[in-house]
Amino acid sequence: MQAQETGYRRFKIESRPAPHVYAIPNRFDVRARKIRLAAMLVHEAFEYRFEKDVVLSRPCIYGVFSGHFGGFKPLKHKCVGCMRCVQEYPHIMTVKPSEAYKKLGDSFWTPEMVYTVWNEASTGKIPVKGMGYKGAFGGEGFDGIWTDMSEIVRPTRDGVYGREYISTRVDVGRKPTSIDLDKVTETPRTIEIPVPIIFDELPNGTDNDDVQTAVALAAGNIGTLDVARETRLGRPGPDNLLPLIDEEGIEDYGEKQPSILEFDAENPGMLRKLLTRFDRSIIIGRLPLKEDSGRVASELARQGVHGMHLYADYHGHDYSRDPRHISTALRDVHQQLVRDGLRDQVTIIASGGITLAEHVPKAIISGADLVGIDTTILVALQAEFLGETRNRAKCGFRPRKINPEWGAQRLVNLIGVWHDQLIEILGAMGIRDVRRLRGDIGRSMMDSELREQSFEGIAWAT
Amino acid sequence: MGNLELIVEKHTERIHRGLEVLPTLKHGVPDGLGNKRWTGDLILATYEQALTGDIPQNDLEYKTGNSGGGFDVLGWKSHDRVAKVDQDQVDLSIPLNKRGDGEKIEIPVPIYGGGMSFGSISLNFMIARARAARRLGTYTSTGEGGYPDQIVPYRNHVITQVATGMFGVREETIQYAPIVEFKYAQGAKPGLGGHLLADKVTSEVAKMRESSMFTSLYSPFPFHSVYSVEDHKKHVDWIKTVNPRALVSVKVSTPTDVDMVAIGSYYAGANIIHIDGGYGGTGAAPEIAKKNIAMPIEYAIPKVHDYLVSEGVRDEITLMASGGIRTADDIAKAIALGADGCVVATAEAVAVGCTHCGNCERGRGCQVGITTTDPELSQFIDPEWGEMRIVNLFNAWSKRLRILLASFGLESIRELRGRKDLLVRYK
Repeated sequence: MQAQETGYRRFKIESRPAPHVYAIPNRFDVRARKIRLAAMLVHEAFEYRFEKDVVLSRPCIYGVFSGHFGGFKPLKHKCVGCMRCVQEYPHIMTVKPSEAYKKLGDSFWTPEMVYTVWNEASTGKIPVKGMGYKGAFGGEGFDGIWTDMSEIVRPTRDGVYGREYISTRVDVGRKPTSIDLDKVTETPRTIEIPVPIIFDELPNGTDNDDVQTAVALAAGNIGTLDVARETRLGRPGPDNLLPLIDEEGIEDYGEKQPSILEFDAENPGMLRKLLTRFDRSIIIGRLPLKEDSGRVASELARQGVHGMHLYADYHGHDYSRDPRHISTALRDVHQQLVRDGLRDQVTIIASGGITLAEHVPKAIISGADLVGIDTTILVALQAEFLGETRNRAKCGFRPRKINPEWGAQRLVNLIGVWHDQLIEILGAMGIRDVRRLRGDIGRSMMDSELREQSFEGIAWAT
Repeated sequence: MGNLELIVEKHTERIHRGLEVLPTLKHGVPDGLGNKRWTGDLILATYEQALTGDIPQNDLEYKTGNSGGGFDVLGWKSHDRVAKVDQDQVDLSIPLNKRGDGEKIEIPVPIYGGGMSFGSISLNFMIARARAARRLGTYTSTGEGGYPDQIVPYRNHVITQVATGMFGVREETIQYAPIVEFKYAQGAKPGLGGHLLADKVTSEVAKMRESSMFTSLYSPFPFHSVYSVEDHKKHVDWIKTVNPRALVSVKVSTPTDVDMVAIGSYYAGANIIHIDGGYGGTGAAPEIAKKNIAMPIEYAIPKVHDYLVSEGVRDEITLMASGGIRTADDIAKAIALGADGCVVATAEAVAVGCTHCGNCERGRGCQVGITTTDPELSQFIDPEWGEMRIVNLFNAWSKRLRILLASFGLESIRELRGRKDLLVRYK
């Protein structure tokens, strides 16, 4: 009995409902032309001989007209856009996406994306719908990548909980290319986290105490890391902090060493200082993705860095003169490190524009080991959009006042549901370990390439 | 008549009337209707074709959607200098068995109905589809939910699907079938198996699937008995032993090696290779799967067609395509890309009132009685009414196909196969 209690337990992120605290816009605006509605009721009253049940039977199975005033004051928040009321009474009813819904987000965050993150954070459930896909065909960046599947694969899938185990654990840190057991000069300096997702530093001005606490609690619950410009030294509770430290920050540690830290890799000389000062820590160099990031990454790897955190802007574009999508920029860095024989030694964390569950496997296919999420944290916590959110220095979000425990549960739900969706993707490919997905472009399909192959020989319209 | 019957009658009448009024555009195209793939125009145009059996005569866009890729960026070459053919003489039939042995089955239109299982759709809609298939001389598929007794009278036009859950697969349901379809995977949830949510597992559904009421049902993935072409051949042999008359169709999704899968199916003895792209599907599926896993059908068709040609077996196997086929033009484009014909399901649902809202699994299920097991909602679709709507839609599509083929000087849809030179691309 004792053995059962302490024995194997499959990794699972426990979700619990964490409903929206702040009202969200109705997705649909349902309206009835009131005079026509009244006329219709009178007409139906005579047609059905004043049988109340029949006359007042409403053309909605979701309860939009179940309020005291029926169609005269529809309960808009219940509308799912099924359009049955319009089908039945096209001369009376209109249903359209609400103006408030259409205004959600910015030029990158579509209303659909915002709603998806809200619902995932609120319910912890995978978005499921019927009747096929409803969006754009392909597109740029992650939208132009499809992941592979296999008709005949292991692991098998015998229902959600009956599936063979698929590992989503990743190592963060540096691994030697080989180990000579008789002469150990370098031991692997890594930590393992159960999901390839960490919480990245939040945009300037959005990381108030409650938000920070929520992120820290969620990271502790899941067992992942959260990046922040603070030490949290001496704080009680689980410490899953990945501190982003500068030269002054080094002094704060005194004699102590963090298990892992990040630094600004554009600061010359900093790496050498850190390697000397923190000889037991995992040291991650943080740098923006640019044209020459591959070369810089190789150089840092040769100098002994344990990992790199490569970031794009919050819309997923790198900082090249001609900005590229993060997926393209990551491929360059990954391939440069592979060519230089360094890729297996260092960890790559990628962040910027990771806003939907499918972005995680696609970033990993593009060459990252794991990803960091940033503005997605704020969306999950129902922060307000205040214009464009692309710029790291001036990001258009205003966090709302939250209960940190509620916030933590929202983030746990979000990562939990992304984890479940990652497993769906890996399962479809027959991959049992997310580490095998890294840089495996061969298990993806690019819209741009397939289009040219499949439509070869088809002339352009003139 | 009790009040419940009156209520059903009232809403049935209103819904059916709405399906007639909306395509007239008297009230415009409703703002909330449709999406990039199934635009409001396409949905209303489908209602119109299902009502009249003819090509829409008003301004509704009935040929393409607005997804920005795939079929929606393909058009037809101008063809002024071609000797025209009499539309009425154009042959739309395709063979489903191109091998030297077995039953020679042809269908008069290059379309049959895809699998939608009992449980995921209402019995009335299932019967409507079967009746329509009989009237049109084509087929519909049971999907993986069993073979209700009410479908048996139409068995000469019903494909029995054998999928991993084996729900409803019995010796007699295989013996009924002129075609047996192995579903290895489906486009909307490739590699993920199937999942019928607990709410839909009513006593009838549970009985049909020999399971417990209101308990979620999973079709595992993959077939645990198939890990090679040889294993796959055993499956084909099993069916041919139980029913030597049956043709065998193999339904697969569209991975990077879909061409290899197709040739494997050929060597295993399949008559039909049915490739199902990711952008279609009618059952509930994780959004992440629909959008992100496996390639769209537009890219898979040429890949498979070209490979079968290069292997010298193209004329021995029928290639059917599904997963996002919405219109007659989509069918023609799929054939021009290399398919022999297409398999459709969503379009049939739209013909009887589906708005493509995607709420099939929410609450009581579909609000107009298509994807539901709710006893009240299911009554909105009278099988005879549904039959006529589907027949009309296929007839309208046939007219459009005949016009198109005649304009290219083609006398048979078989001549269109692989004619990419007749297509043009739009930016």
